[in-house]
Parts: sequence; structure tokens; C-alpha cells
Amino acid sequence: MKAKQNWRLMALLLPAIALICVLFLNPLVGVLIQSFVGDDGFTLKSISKLWTSRLARVVLERTFWLAFTVTVICLLVGYPAAYYMSQLRPRKRAMITYLVLLPFWISILIRTYTWIILLGREGLVNNALQWLGLTEQPVQFLYTNFAVHLGMVQILLPIVILPTVAGMVNIDGGLIKAARVMGASPIRAFWSVFFPLSLSGAATGGLICFILSLGFYVTPTLLGGQKSLIIANLIDLQVHKTLNWGFAAALATALLLATLLCLLIFWLATRNRPEFATGGLSR
Amino acid sequence: MTITRRNFNLGSVAALGALAAPAMARAEGTTIVVNGSGGSLETVIRDMFELPFTEQTGIKVRASAPVSLPKLKAMVESGNVEWDLTELNGDDVVIATKNGWLEELDYSIIDPEGLLPEMAKEPTALVRASYSTVLAYRTDRYEGEQPSSWADFWDVERFPGPRSLENSPKGTLEFALLADGVAPEDLYPLDVERALSKLDEIKAHIPVWWSTGAQHVQLLIDGEVNMTSCWNGRISPLQTEGKPVAITFNEGALMLSYMGMPKGAPHPKEAMEFLKFRLNPKLAADFVKVVPYPGFVPGMFDYLEPDFVETLPTAPKNAAAQFKFNSQWWAENLEEVTERWTEWTLL
Repeated sequence: MKAKQNWRLMALLLPAIALICVLFLNPLVGVLIQSFVGDDGFTLKSISKLWTSRLARVVLERTFWLAFTVTVICLLVGYPAAYYMSQLRPRKRAMITYLVLLPFWISILIRTYTWIILLGREGLVNNALQWLGLTEQPVQFLYTNFAVHLGMVQILLPIVILPTVAGMVNIDGGLIKAARVMGASPIRAFWSVFFPLSLSGAATGGLICFILSLGFYVTPTLLGGQKSLIIANLIDLQVHKTLNWGFAAALATALLLATLLCLLIFWLATRNRPEFATGGLSR
Repeated sequence: MTITRRNFNLGSVAALGALAAPAMARAEGTTIVVNGSGGSLETVIRDMFELPFTEQTGIKVRASAPVSLPKLKAMVESGNVEWDLTELNGDDVVIATKNGWLEELDYSIIDPEGLLPEMAKEPTALVRASYSTVLAYRTDRYEGEQPSSWADFWDVERFPGPRSLENSPKGTLEFALLADGVAPEDLYPLDVERALSKLDEIKAHIPVWWSTGAQHVQLLIDGEVNMTSCWNGRISPLQTEGKPVAITFNEGALMLSYMGMPKGAPHPKEAMEFLKFRLNPKLAADFVKVVPYPGFVPGMFDYLEPDFVETLPTAPKNAAAQFKFNSQWWAENLEEVTERWTEWTLL
């Protein structure tokens, strides 16, 4: 009886599954196949190039390092903001949440172009610095790793803040009070009780941020120099310039596998703590 | 293989045609798809060539964009050819012809009187336009002497400040070799490593490598760079607007742009009629007044002011100051050099 009901409920998933199969899995399998097919059928040429090409290795490393640093900055900036939001009364918190979500109403492309206007050699920031007499020559902000980080953090911050807030809101306030009653200072109570309990939400936000960063394309392209170009740019180059679609597919496959590996590590590290999988929403 | 795909394609088009027979029984209901680089150019081409062509022949023209060799490859290999004509640059033509992605053109239709110069007629592509990649600079940045050669471009002492070059080895390597003292006639075959080590000298002064025409214009007028390599046609509108920019044709790369027909194009005959139409000297002259990328249309210069001809890449004085970009060499070496280039820029 119960099993039957489950099957009926499962049927509700069918449209979503069909959509994913046609629009996501189908091209994904196509990419996987492409990385093993050359001019004369099956080949390991593209895949083995991942090891032999120094370029692929350096760019992959650069991609993961960029994703890592962006995630760390997002967490450092986002955590205090999330803490502030979690301490507000629900109505005020809802309002602040809307403000945090507001940037999503503007396309990533436009937000990225805005940085070009702000950071350029004759842009707002440089003009202000020179007017204040702080610099004599324009500072090269644009086309640097600094600009890429700024642009990416600005885009990804809400994605870190929201799960972190959700996790913090679910923390039982009584636990902190209990720590205080037992004689812990406010700082001690925060670090020993609140912080460990808030980690699951922050980790979920950080993980999503990290994975999204790996696939960034627009921001590094527009704000970065050659040294900030990452794996998506390299794939684009193989597709459009060198026409080496096999290698492009191999790079995409490598990125996918590396991402899955990160997820696996996260899962292994947290599998005994179910609240991590749900961003602190399990209760 | 290709033949069966093409037959299949023709068959399906015929079937579609049969279904829609009452609506478009006459040949003049045909619409050809011409792929170009889009943007403001697309509007100019529509007003100057496509609409008059439709008026004269009844054949409609639909423009698409952008120019993309990968897309041509995908279309021909899947047998799903959407374009009847597409713009192509020189080495695209060599590569596409080698891979059998282009149809042979019938010059008895396009140029029945044989007026076109031979260098405009490749078996699979027609020269559509010529353009130059030249040195452009901000005239307000340097007092007195202005940069006038690639050696000046490399001279960061005399001409300080950030600069930009195209994020492509094509042309850029040639400029580096010219700056290093190689004579224009000795450029090819290119000494890639020598060019790259010359580029090492100014790599630190290049904050950004441009990849589109719109981008190098933006970099110049926003003041992000003081000089850059650029396409000649992009600068004249800026000068008209009074922007402090100028170009020199000295040591520029004279490049050709072509029109080709994808293998299996649905309307080959109508497409070649359109190519013929575009060779009308009066129309071509009007077009060049707006877009300074002249083709080799015979008789076109008769309709233009001599002063204006002076500003065109193919004007005798300008052509003599430039070197002829060797598409054949690039097509043969493109993959290897692009890979080396990517490594050099990204590492």
C-alpha cells in the first residue's frame, strides 16, 4: 500500500526527469563521447593530452585556486553579514533578505560591465583617487586578478549568505544561553557553541559558491588579464579558435570529474552529520 | 557520404516545398540566408544590397551572424546546412576548402564578363572586402612625435603607457617581427619563437589583449590603452565624432575577407546571383563610403572621390606601405601556432 503511494508520488517527478534527460544528460553524454572520439573512431589522444599539456594542468590548477580564494573571501565577508541577519527579528530579516537578493535582478553581464566603468584607468575609482591626491598615475585595477575576485565575490556573496543565515536561524538560542549561564563569556559562547553549529549552513553556501566559481566564464573574460583566464575560457578557445573539439570535451570532462571529486570529499567528511547535506535545515 | 547527406537535404527541402506548394510555387518566393559579422554592418548590407536585390529578383535575403568556422563545420558535417553564403577570412577559406566544407563557385554566373581580377577569385570563395590591421593611437597622449611603426609601438621609453594587441597570433607575430627589424618581404615563413621573444619585451605593458573590433575601439576611447593594433574601418567613425585617435597604414597587414558557399547550401543558384549583384560598381562604391572595406569590384574607384580613395586600405599608397598577410601559411600552421600562442599568453 505504502510502496504503491510512493510510486505514484514518484510519477510527479517524471516531467522534471524527462527534461533533465533531454536537455542535460543527452548533451553531457555527447561531450563524454566526444572526448574519446577522433578522426578515425575511438582514441585516447584528447584525454591523454590532459596530462601531457602543461597548459591544461596550469589552467585547471588556476581554476581551482581561483574558486578556492573566491569562496574563502565570500565566507569571510558573508559570515558576519549572515550573523547580523540571523539576530534580527523575522520581519526585518525578510526585508534584508530581499536586499541581499536584489542584485539577482540584474544580469551578470551588466554587473560585470559596471565594474569596467568603475575600475577603468579613467573610471570612477581612479578619478576619485587622483582627485583626492592619493595617486598620481592611474592604478591598473582592471584586467587583474583583483578585478576578477571583486566581480566574482559580488556575484556569489548572496549565494553564501542565504544558506548561512538559514543555518544560523535554526540554532537553538537556548544553547547559547545555557553556555552563558554556565559562566562562558560571550566570545567563548560564540566560538564553542554558536560557531560549530553554524558551520553546516556556511559549508553548504561555500560548497555551492565553490562549484559555481569553477564554471565562471563572463567575469574572468571581461575583468581579467591573460593570467586570470580559467578552464571555461580554455574550452571556449578549443571550440572556437583551434577547432579541437575533442580536447575541449576532454577539458570539460576533467572539470566535471574534478567537481564530482570535490563533492565526494565533502560528502565523506560530513556523512556522519546529516545537517551538512541540508544546510542546517534538517531540524 | 556528403553526397547522400546532400541528397537527403535536398529531398527534405523538396518535401517541405511540396507541402507549402500553393504558397510559394514561384521561384521568387525563395529566401537565401547570408551569414555575416552582424552588428551595424548588417543594417548597412541590408539597405544597400539585400533590399535592392529582393526588389530586382524577388529573392528574399535573410542575414544571420556571426561568422564562425565551427558552425560551418557543424552544419556541413550534420548535413543540416542553414546558410547559402557565409563570410570567411583568408585562412578560414583554406581550412574549409581543405576539409570540403565549401562548394565550388560558378564564375560564369557571378562574373560572366570576366572583369574581376584573378586575385579576387578563389575556386571556392570570392573576395568580398579587404581590410587592414594597423597601428592606432591616441593623438592626445604624446607631445610632438607620434608613433608610426611597430618599432615605435615596442618603444616604451619614447611612447610610455599601456597598449593592446589582438589575442591572436595572426598579424600579431608579424608585427613583432617587423618591430624586430625583419623586412616585410622576409616575414614568411614566420619565426614564431623570435616573434614571441620580441613580444616578451612588451608583455608587461599589455594589460589586456583584445578579441573583438568593438573591444579595441572601447579600449582606445576609454583611455585604457594609448595604442593598439586595430581594423582600419573602426577608426574613421571615431575621427568623425572628433575623438583624438589616428591610424597609420605603415607596416599594416593587408587582409582579405571572402564570401563562400557551404557544401550542400539549399539555394546555390540564387546565392550566386546575389554574389553577382554585389559586384555592381555603383553599389559597391556607395557601400565603401559607409564601410571602408573595399573589395576588388572593377570600376568602383570611378565613383569615389580621390581624397576618399586615399583613406582606403587598397589605395596604391597605403597598399604599398603594408605587407600582404599570408593566409596560406597561416592555414598550414594555424593549429600548431595557436597552441603555442595560447601557452605563451596563458602561462
